Amino acid sequence: MEAATARIGRGKRRKKKDKSYGTEERRLAALLLSPAMVVILLVAAYPIGYAVWLSLTEYSVRVPGLWRFVGFDNYSEAFGSTEFWDAVKTTFLFTIISVTLELAIGLAMALAMHAAFKGRGLLRTVILVPWAVLTVVSAITWKTLFEPNLGLVPTILGKFGIAENVVWLGQSGYALTVMIVADVWKTAPFMALLLLAGLQVIPDDVYDAAKVDGATTWQRFRSITLPLLLPAILVALIFRTLDALRIFDLPFVLTGGTNGTSTLSLIAQKELTTNNLIGYGSALSVLTFIIVMAVSFIYIKSVGGNIRSLAEDD
Amino acid sequence: MEAHAMERVSAEPRVTEARGPRRNWVRPVLMWLGVAAIVIFCLFPFYWLVNVSLKTGADLSQADLFPPNPSLDNYDSIFKNGDFTSALRNSIIVTTITTVLALVVGSFAAYALARLRFPNKFLLLGVILSISTFPPIAIAAPIFKLWTDLGLYDTYAGLIIPYLTFALPLAIYILTSFFKEIPKELEEAALVDGATYFQAFRKVILPLAAPGLVTAGLLTAFFVWNEFLLAQTLTSSPKAFTVPVAVANFTGSSKFEIPLGTISAASVVITVPLVAAVIIFQKRIVAGLTAGAVKG
Amino acid sequence: MMKTPRMLAALVVSALFAIAGCGGGGDDSGGTPQAEKATQAKATGDVTWCIGKDTTGSFSTVVDNFNKANPKANAKLVELPTSADDQRRLQVQRLRAKSSECDVLGMDVIWTAEYAAQGWLKDVSDYISQNGDKFIKSTVDTTDYNGKNWAVPFNSNAGFIYYRTDEVNSAPKDWESLYKEAADKNGIVYQGFRYEGLTVNFLELLYSKGGSIISDDGKTSTADSQEVKDVLKFMGDGIKNGSAPKAVTTYQEEESRRAFESGGATFMRNWPYAYALGKKSKIGSKFDIANFPGFSGQQGAGVLGGYNLGISAFSKNPSGSLAFIEFATKPDQQKIMATEASLPPTTSATYDDPAVKKALPFADQLKTAIEQAKPRPVSPVYPQISEAVYNNVYDVLQGKASPDDAAKKMNDEINKALQTF
Repeated sequence: MEAATARIGRGKRRKKKDKSYGTEERRLAALLLSPAMVVILLVAAYPIGYAVWLSLTEYSVRVPGLWRFVGFDNYSEAFGSTEFWDAVKTTFLFTIISVTLELAIGLAMALAMHAAFKGRGLLRTVILVPWAVLTVVSAITWKTLFEPNLGLVPTILGKFGIAENVVWLGQSGYALTVMIVADVWKTAPFMALLLLAGLQVIPDDVYDAAKVDGATTWQRFRSITLPLLLPAILVALIFRTLDALRIFDLPFVLTGGTNGTSTLSLIAQKELTTNNLIGYGSALSVLTFIIVMAVSFIYIKSVGGNIRSLAEDD
Repeated sequence: MEAHAMERVSAEPRVTEARGPRRNWVRPVLMWLGVAAIVIFCLFPFYWLVNVSLKTGADLSQADLFPPNPSLDNYDSIFKNGDFTSALRNSIIVTTITTVLALVVGSFAAYALARLRFPNKFLLLGVILSISTFPPIAIAAPIFKLWTDLGLYDTYAGLIIPYLTFALPLAIYILTSFFKEIPKELEEAALVDGATYFQAFRKVILPLAAPGLVTAGLLTAFFVWNEFLLAQTLTSSPKAFTVPVAVANFTGSSKFEIPLGTISAASVVITVPLVAAVIIFQKRIVAGLTAGAVKG
Repeated sequence: MMKTPRMLAALVVSALFAIAGCGGGGDDSGGTPQAEKATQAKATGDVTWCIGKDTTGSFSTVVDNFNKANPKANAKLVELPTSADDQRRLQVQRLRAKSSECDVLGMDVIWTAEYAAQGWLKDVSDYISQNGDKFIKSTVDTTDYNGKNWAVPFNSNAGFIYYRTDEVNSAPKDWESLYKEAADKNGIVYQGFRYEGLTVNFLELLYSKGGSIISDDGKTSTADSQEVKDVLKFMGDGIKNGSAPKAVTTYQEEESRRAFESGGATFMRNWPYAYALGKKSKIGSKFDIANFPGFSGQQGAGVLGGYNLGISAFSKNPSGSLAFIEFATKPDQQKIMATEASLPPTTSATYDDPAVKKALPFADQLKTAIEQAKPRPVSPVYPQISEAVYNNVYDVLQGKASPDDAAKKMNDEINKALQTF
């Protein structure tokens, strides 16, 4: 015990990494980490492994319990199906558009909140309301707002002669638009918060110095704000991109995946539950998993800084 | 005026530079417009929900901005609906238990990560965090099969275990950041006085990390309360289904006019406490959400 | 003191297992439940009946009546959403989980083969062989899979044309003139959304042309045929020239019913249930109902719908469930559903009951329609077959595919589905 304590004290003053960790420290660490790791391994690693196994099989829909090993057949079927590639296209299209919009609108909101000298408290509260609303509830609300005949949006737009006779959730392109609107509504405020936090860390002196040098508002924004905000923007982008790639709740409730709103998660679920195709559905789930993890890997490589600093021993 | 501006803490509003008489009114007006736009953008759909929840019968076919004959009938009927009240009860129980467990298990792990030294920390942290990026659909079917065989389908435990897995990464991340903020000297002093690691943890770190615990707890609770895909896959009866499942199956995918009012009432009922919590704990939530953005 | 964290961890884990409590696994007892007659007063135990939303209260009435007649039993109604697809999804989920929550399943006739193939239903062939003559034969056929019966017909269904009596003089003689008249007046509304209902609407037209989508032996697709292309063209043109509003592509049964009831359409294709509800609406006195016309020179055709009652393979009370099913399919209970919910009975005798004739003025036409209706393809992969049909019909309705291309694609997709392992 004494030795361990002494070592902690000494560790701070060292410059090099001290690799001679006490076994007690390691055992304690192992102990403290074990509940978390057990849960995580049990519920994340094992099911993924099982899903991969299932994706290599096919269960009969004609004879209960009968199954056979089919290797990569399910995967080649996925790669050859329009449904899969449509879902990939839809998912990425949705992700790119909504994340861009959320970033832009979130940035605008953050700048407004940063510059506002009154009503800040109100804004910070108000801005969390969309985030507090359940995804399912938000989907239902937007579905109602866009319903033909009863919905507020078609009624108002109709008065301006815009998009008359458009059955929003019943037409390709329009349905995706509603989905994007609903998602942007819910998460642009969240982006605004992240960006606002980033904005508030930028010291005023930098701006003042630039003003003294005669920089215009736009130049200040471009050369000071944006670069200094980049870390916050990247973090916001990671969160939102990964969420958008995995999206399920919103299209499921909004349209059931019809009219061009079928995302990867949605088609996987459909094949599993509606068509009883356990093997094929699992293959789609695994493909979804791989795609999402690939994107997250790319991101983490670029923004690993935060995690690294957390992992550093001080 | 410039000097005063620079002395202010950066969290204070930036005072704009001296303006000429002509531009005096533009900025405040723009600002108020901006504020108004944000408020309307954020609040309108929720307002609409409340609006519809107060309508009944034929009014539901109209797109009026205000309920012509406001009534609380819808609220009355959802509270009499056994499915809804069961879902509320289930959600509350599952959320509470998951949050408590996430905080307990998470703080153990966070302490180890923040304070103790052992090899491969970065790898471990990376693995833990990558879990939170899993698409739930990928594990939904396997867990469904597993739970069916183990008898955990349609039970609280069946939900709590996967929820814990998804909640832990975020909780660990937040708690680790908070633990790291606490100066080591405090612990070291306690250890020198003869306390064990655990006592140091309990008496020194925990109280100081309380804000972090509240934040992690709130974010975990929000996540669990809101979760839909796993809840729908792993439950099917009032025994265990949660609020998002009950609300989504209220609607099904049909658009019955009559349930629309009650669905909205149900939605309002489950959103209002969340909004209240958000208002009260606003600072904590923001701190937690932005923990990653600002550090490093 | 080092033990404390360990104890805590152990406590947590054991708490988790304590919460695990009772699971959902039902006991998987095989064998046919006894098909005794007059099992009524001996019925015991809990019986949970899972079926779609009870829009008229008639299901609850049947449950109450059963409980009164069987004091030792306790039947309960669990309502599933109105959409058939959602009902199926929720039933299949429970069945896959081997949950004993549902004892009696209210299944759309098209799910019976699929559920049977998956081993989710109890064999009721004995019951049917003893009681089958009560029922209209075509309805019993829907309970047949691989030579055995897996359910008891509960209610049947065949579609009708509803028409506004103040806008047209009489029901049109054939589909062509109906669509023409619709284009001149306020149009026809039907179920054109991308779901099972569209398959039904499509087949009603196709069968009248003498076409089919599956060969008689059920092994190959016959969708790449002239009849299919003609019907696709007919439906697609119907939207293009205004016989049907574009909005029909978002309609299921309820939406088309509401559109018709609000006065927005001259014609509607819908199931009989809309009759009772329509009579209570603002156009109550202004509409009537007629059997389907055929294409000119041909017979009108129907597609058999309806619900069967099956016993879940995981039910903990199979005998009580059978007793409940027997009760619910008795003519006097069928009468309640006919008069209160316009649900066509499956027992022939019920159609002759004066009260039923009064509530369903078209009772005779209904019985004939049901007797002559054709079932949809009976196959465990029916969901995929139906998807192949409704996806391609939908594309034609939306103007995104030509009838020829859609027919070919439908054909390919059905063949692929039929090859499912």
